[in-house]
Amino acid sequence: MSIMWDEIAKNVMKDIDSNENVFSTGKVVNISGSMIEVAGLKDVAFYESVSILNKAKGYVSAIYESTVNISLVEQDAPIVIGDKVYTLNKNFKVSFSMDSLGKVVDVFGNDLITGKKFDTLLEFDVETKPIELVERSEVNREFLTGIAGIDLFYPIGKGQRQLIIGDKKTGKTQICLDMIANQKNSKMLCIYVAIGKTKKEVKEIYYELTKIGAMSYTIIVASFFDDLPAKSFVTPYGATSLAKFFMMQGMDVLVIFDDLKKHADIYRHMSLAARKVPGRDAYPSDIFYTHARLLENGCQHIGGGSITMIPVVETRSGDITDYISTNIISICDGQLVLSLKKFNKGERPAIDYGLSVSRLGGQVQSREMKKVGIKIKQDLLSYLEIRDIYELVNLDDLGENMKNRMVEGQKILSKLNQYKYSPLTKEQMVVLFDDIKEVK
Amino acid sequence: MIVGKIISILDVSIKVILSSNDLEVGDILTTEDGKFEFEVVIIDSVEATCITLNSNHGLKKGTKLIKKAKGIEMEYSDRAIGRVFDSYGHIIDGKPFTSEKRIVTSNNTISLKDLDLDSKPLWTGIKIIDFFAPIQRGFKIGLIGGAGVGKTVLIRELIHNIYNSTSANAIFIGAGERSREGKELIDEMEKNNLLDKICLVFGQMGSNPVSRSKSIESGLTVAEYLRDEKKKDSLIFIDNVYRFIQARSEISMELKEILVENGYMANMNELISKIEERASSTKDGAITSFQTIYVPADDLNDEAVQNISSYMDGQITLDRKMSEKGLYPAINVFKSTSKLVDVNIIGQRHYDLLKKTLAYYTRYDELEEVIAILGVDEISDEDKNIFYRTRKLRNYFSQPLFASEAFTNMPGVKVDIEDILNDVENILTGKYDYIDELSFLYIGKYNGK
Repeated sequence: MSIMWDEIAKNVMKDIDSNENVFSTGKVVNISGSMIEVAGLKDVAFYESVSILNKAKGYVSAIYESTVNISLVEQDAPIVIGDKVYTLNKNFKVSFSMDSLGKVVDVFGNDLITGKKFDTLLEFDVETKPIELVERSEVNREFLTGIAGIDLFYPIGKGQRQLIIGDKKTGKTQICLDMIANQKNSKMLCIYVAIGKTKKEVKEIYYELTKIGAMSYTIIVASFFDDLPAKSFVTPYGATSLAKFFMMQGMDVLVIFDDLKKHADIYRHMSLAARKVPGRDAYPSDIFYTHARLLENGCQHIGGGSITMIPVVETRSGDITDYISTNIISICDGQLVLSLKKFNKGERPAIDYGLSVSRLGGQVQSREMKKVGIKIKQDLLSYLEIRDIYELVNLDDLGENMKNRMVEGQKILSKLNQYKYSPLTKEQMVVLFDDIKEVK
Repeated sequence: MIVGKIISILDVSIKVILSSNDLEVGDILTTEDGKFEFEVVIIDSVEATCITLNSNHGLKKGTKLIKKAKGIEMEYSDRAIGRVFDSYGHIIDGKPFTSEKRIVTSNNTISLKDLDLDSKPLWTGIKIIDFFAPIQRGFKIGLIGGAGVGKTVLIRELIHNIYNSTSANAIFIGAGERSREGKELIDEMEKNNLLDKICLVFGQMGSNPVSRSKSIESGLTVAEYLRDEKKKDSLIFIDNVYRFIQARSEISMELKEILVENGYMANMNELISKIEERASSTKDGAITSFQTIYVPADDLNDEAVQNISSYMDGQITLDRKMSEKGLYPAINVFKSTSKLVDVNIIGQRHYDLLKKTLAYYTRYDELEEVIAILGVDEISDEDKNIFYRTRKLRNYFSQPLFASEAFTNMPGVKVDIEDILNDVENILTGKYDYIDELSFLYIGKYNGK
C-alpha cells in the first residue's frame, strides 16, 4: 500500500509540474463509500468543485497537510485508485433551470420525470450568508392553509417556520399538499423538497398536485436514499438558495422539507463516515446547527419578499421529545403535532390541540380571524382539559357553567373535521363557529 | 506581519504552520485581504490550530496569515448602551458608530474577596414565580425548559416587568436563538423608547459555532463596565446559555478532542464557571441575571443542564405537561426553587402557605390517577376538597402575560405579592369553594366576584 502511495504521489507531482497553468490535479489514493481521499490538488480551495475523470463529481470537504478529502455528489462509473482528479476552479454550486416550474427536479438541473438535463441552468451557492437582523422585518402577513384547525388556532405568517410533526400515516404530507393547493390564487411560489421519500411517493405527489392544478406554481425538488448522501444532504440547502433568489426579487415563497428526520440521518451517516466523534443518539454535535442554519433562512425580508418554511419530522410512537424533534421544535416558530390516536378515531386533520403551538399567534391573523380563533381555542383547550377529569361524572351533577363547556366543546371539536382538498375561506371559518354559545 | 501559512482546512477550523514566535492563544489572525478571520486556540510548537470566525468556503491551503488583535474586542464605554452588537463586537443596527474604548472580552472572573452577598428581594409580578420561587437582587435565575414550552415568552415577560419598571441598565444576550425573535425584541424596544438603557448582543442560531459561543463573553464585558467603572447595578438577560455549551461542543468535535457522554467536551465545568463567575455582584454593583437553559430531548438529567443549573440561586422549571393543558406560564412547581425560600426572609405566612400548597399539589397528583379510574365520587370528602381546591390553585397560577398578548388577546397583569398570599389562603381554607374552577383561569388577583 505505502509503495503504491509513494508512486502515486510522485506521479502527482509530475502532473502538477506539467499542467501548471491549466487546472490543479490530483490522484485518488483512498476510496471509502462516497468519500475519497486525493493526493495532490495543491492549490484547491475549501468547498471547491472537483471532477474525477468523467466518472464523478464532488466537492472538497477537508484539506489536510498532504491529502484532500472529496465528498462525491454524482457518480456514473466506479472510481479506482489512481484516477485523476481535476478542480473546476470554482466553489461547489447547485444549479436550477428557470423552466423548473411544474417539474420534478434535482439540485443539478435534471428533470427527473423526463430524465433529461435542462438546457439553460443558473448556478446558486449551496449555502449563503445568514440573513442579518437589519435585513429582516416583522412577520405579520397571514399565510392561509384553508384548514380551520390551523388558520384559526395556530396561524402561520409569511416568513414563519412551522413544523409539522407526527408518526407515520398521520397525514403530515397531506397537510403540506393541502397548503400548496390553497395557494392557487395567492401568487405564492411553492417548493416541495422531498428528502428520503420513495420514488413512488414522489411521483404520486406529482400526480396529485397536477390533478388539482397546483403544479403550475410548484417545483418539486427531490433526492432519494439511493442518491449519494452528500447530494441528499445539500438538497434542502440548494432548494433554499433558489427560494432566496426569488425572495430577493420580492416574491413570497413556500418551502416544504419532507422530512428533516431523514435528512438528519443522512448527515449522521456522512459524519460517522468522516470519523467525527458521535454525540447524543450518535448524531454529530453540530446536528442542531445543521438544521438551524437551514431554517434561519425562513424570514420576512425588508424588500417585501418572504420565505415561509414548513419542515416535516416523523416521530415514533408519538414521542415528540426525542433529540432531533426537540432540536427542530426549538428552531421553528411553532409546531403542529399530529396524533395517531386521533387519526384512528377518524379526526381529520388529526391535530393534537394541546401540544401544537404557534409562537406568532394573533400577530399574523386578521382581526376577525383572531377574535374567533382565540375564543374558540381557549374554549376547546379548557374543554379538553376538563373532559379527561369529568368524563365519568354525570353531566347533570356538574354546575351549569361546566356542563355548557362540555357540550360546546364537543360541538367545536366536531366542527373542526375537514376532509382533504376542501379548503375553507376566512369568511367560511368565521361563520362556522357562529352558533357556539358563550360560556362563563 | 506574516505569522504563518495555512496547511489544513476543516469546516470551522484550520491548522497553521508558524513562522513567528510572537503568538498567543486567543490572538486573532486574518488573511491579507481581510476576508477570513481566525482565533488561535492551540499552539503546538510550530503549528497552531485556529477556529474560524466566519466561514471557510473558498479558503486555500498556503494562504498567509497576519496577526490582527490580542482577542475579540468589545466596546467598553457608555457608547455600548442603546446599541446592538454581534458576538465579535461589531455594530449591527445599521446606524453610525464611533468607538471610544475597546477591550478584549476574555476577562477574568471575580475573586471571593470582591463577591457581594447582601441583597434585597425583587418582585416580578408573576404570581407563580413570586409565590413558589421568589427572586432577589443579585440572583442568578435559570429558566429551564425543553423546546417550545415558553422560555422565551417568560424571559420577555421578565424584561417587561423588571427592566421596564426599574432604572437599572440591562444587557440582553442572544446566544444561539432565533433571529426573528431578536429582531422583534429590538423593534419592540425601539417602539416603546426603551432602547436607551439596554445593550443587545446577538450570536444567533444561523451563525457558526464560534459566533454563538462568543456572544455571552461580549455581553458580560459591558456588564462589567457598568459594575466596575460606573458602579451601577445591572440586569442581564441571556437567551440561551445552553447554546453556549452546545456551540463549544461543536468546536470540540471539530478539533477532534475526546468527548464525553452525549458529545460534550470534558472541560464543560471550567467553561461554564468562566462565564457564570464573571456575572456576579460586587460591592460596586449588583448583577442580577436571568438565563434560559434549554433542555435537549426533554432530558433534565442532561450533563450541561445539570452543570449550568448548579450556578443558579433560583431555578424555574417549565413543564410540557402543563403547557399541554394550556396553563401558562407552564411551570412545574415541584422543580422550581429559590434560595430565598427561608422562613426568615419571606416570612412565616408565605412560608406556611407555600408548604401547604405543595402538599396539596402532591396529593392532587396521586388523586388524579385514582380518579382517572374510579371517578371523583369515590374519594373521601377530605380528598375531594384537596382535589377541587388544587384545581382552582392550578388555574389561579395561570396568568395573562404582557409578552403573550398577541396569542391570548388578554392584557397582561402584574400581581402584588400580598394579593397572591390572600388569594391562595382563601382558596386553601375553602372560602372560595362555591366558585367554579373556570373563574380562576387567566386572571390577575381574584376580585371576589
